[in-house]
Amino acid sequence: MSRRHIQPVEPSAWRFWWLSLLLFSLGTLLVGRLVLIQAIDKDHGAGFLKKQGAMRAVRLAEIPAYRGLITDRRGSPLAVSTPVVSLWANPQHLSGSDRLEELANALGSARDTLEAKLARYADKQFMYLARSQTPDQARRVLDLGIVGVRSQREYRRFYPAGEVTSQVVGLTNTDERGVSGLEKHLDTELFGRAGKKRYLKDLHGDAIRDIGVVAEARHGTEIALSIDLRLQTLQHRELQRAMVETGAQAGAAVTIDAWTGEILAMTNHPASNPNSRADFNPEAARNRVMTDAIEPGSTVKPLLLVAALEGGAFTIDTLIDTSPGRMQVNGKMLSDPRNYGEISVSRVIEKSSQVGVTKISQAVGHESLLDVYRRFGFGAKSAVGFPGERSGLVPNREHWADIEKATLAFGYGLTTTPLQLAQAYAVFANQGLRVPLTLLKRSTNEPLHSERVVAPDIAEQVLTVLERVTGEHGTGRRARVAGFSVGGKTGTVHKVGAQGYIDDQYLALFVGIAPMNEPRYVTAIVVDQPVGDDYGGGAAAAPIYARITEGVLRLRNATPRIEVSSEIRLASLGAEQ
Amino acid sequence: MVGVQRESATAIALLMLCLVSAIAVVYSSHSCRRFYSALQDLEIERWRAQAHYSRLLLEQSTLASPHRVLVIAKDQLGMSTPSIGTIRVVVE
Repeated sequence: MSRRHIQPVEPSAWRFWWLSLLLFSLGTLLVGRLVLIQAIDKDHGAGFLKKQGAMRAVRLAEIPAYRGLITDRRGSPLAVSTPVVSLWANPQHLSGSDRLEELANALGSARDTLEAKLARYADKQFMYLARSQTPDQARRVLDLGIVGVRSQREYRRFYPAGEVTSQVVGLTNTDERGVSGLEKHLDTELFGRAGKKRYLKDLHGDAIRDIGVVAEARHGTEIALSIDLRLQTLQHRELQRAMVETGAQAGAAVTIDAWTGEILAMTNHPASNPNSRADFNPEAARNRVMTDAIEPGSTVKPLLLVAALEGGAFTIDTLIDTSPGRMQVNGKMLSDPRNYGEISVSRVIEKSSQVGVTKISQAVGHESLLDVYRRFGFGAKSAVGFPGERSGLVPNREHWADIEKATLAFGYGLTTTPLQLAQAYAVFANQGLRVPLTLLKRSTNEPLHSERVVAPDIAEQVLTVLERVTGEHGTGRRARVAGFSVGGKTGTVHKVGAQGYIDDQYLALFVGIAPMNEPRYVTAIVVDQPVGDDYGGGAAAAPIYARITEGVLRLRNATPRIEVSSEIRLASLGAEQ
Repeated sequence: MVGVQRESATAIALLMLCLVSAIAVVYSSHSCRRFYSALQDLEIERWRAQAHYSRLLLEQSTLASPHRVLVIAKDQLGMSTPSIGTIRVVVE
């Protein structure tokens, strides 16, 4: 503005223009460089610089996620993931440290051991000092502040109920993925997927701020099983005790709630402690209740009864002549322990008479029997979906010899799992409805999708017969429980060896329902190879059933059938007033 | 003159706004850092709490395991499962 008053002078004008040009070109140079760096992504341009910056300041961190808790139906934990810390070191930084003595003491090991380990890993960048330490243990070591000692967070799965639930719950591997049992079956729900976030760190390596979450952490879902730990423990204890008493090799027991299809307890022998990897034994890891298909023997005779009653030609009181206590089919002699004479259909089942059963099955025909077997769930996997679950085998062929038709009614020539047996009996306890089984807790308002497989009146009649089996004349006398009426069926099956059936090795079975006035709890017992004279289902398996059922009924608050005491009622009412 | 005064008043006002917003940026980035460090503390605390909780769960289930309860009830407290003869059903 003041230039208007001053006359331009030649040399000053030159100087002015030169200066302007110089400043202008410097400015252009600066802007050009800026554009080059900020906008044009050539080598050593914007992208390169951003990357370099990020390399120095941006880090990825893991957002930890927990594997879901598994609990029993009442909330007791069965599998818990607990944070642990693994300590590691860079051997190249640590070796030669003058604080090795101190470190070894804090780790609870000898200095020599630590030095030997350092020497072994001398050319590596990483070695574990101690794995799966509790956070407090690890803190004590880290607080020493020894250079080269670092920590990493991990999780370890603990099974508080130990071997009691080991086959049902299963195991995880070191990556916290399920490898057996429900841990495997429910892995997708249980697995906690760790998330990732990007953050900016300062010169000291401390995080300044989060830039963003790359992947959201997803915690595992907590899952409640249908198992009741109290019942499970009781069943486990009784099964172990029975194994000692009978000298048997193996055993399996399962208790289900017929009304809801929930499996309340499921145990096997042998079992091993899942918390100790050293104890791992594949034989003890198997959940026999679902993975072992066995010939069910006489325990399927109530299903023959169903076929007979449905045909209309029989009632449970129809008389069958079993004289002379033996009969020949295809050259094979089938015999009863003694000649029972003319007995009712009901008594045929109670006594498990081979002759009677053969006569009924000949009248009923094998096709309708096979149809009943399939309707009751044999030959198909249960709804549980457990890893390694077997479907068993219901034969499906054109030609049948007479003896095959007869033995089919005895429970030979087909295989079922102990769970399938329990499922079949649950149909009787549930008025002819089959409810899909589950190992997960069902809520009270969940629809059950039950399916009618037999008419209620037939189920009722079968229950009457099953109750008689545990009566004074039945084979299942030893299954009785004081204060309650129970029903069930015994079974004794020859084991199969390389040369066919083995004469002196048996499976003893019992499947029972209780309490009969309000049938609800079904328990199946399999004892593999009981030793001695008490090898039969009635002698080896029924007593286990009785002891387990006594506990089931007590813990599930079933009302015993004893006289109601009116005095106590008055006394307690009086006390309240 | 009035126009010039108005212009410079606007300029000063804008300058002040600019200053205020600059301070606001400083303030917000400072609180961001503060909150972030608090968040980190909380996350560490959550991890510790989780560790503690799962340890307590394990401890509780060890102490309350049906087997232990049975042993204590039987051996230390002299309890026993009532036999059917000693049970009375009370109707409410």
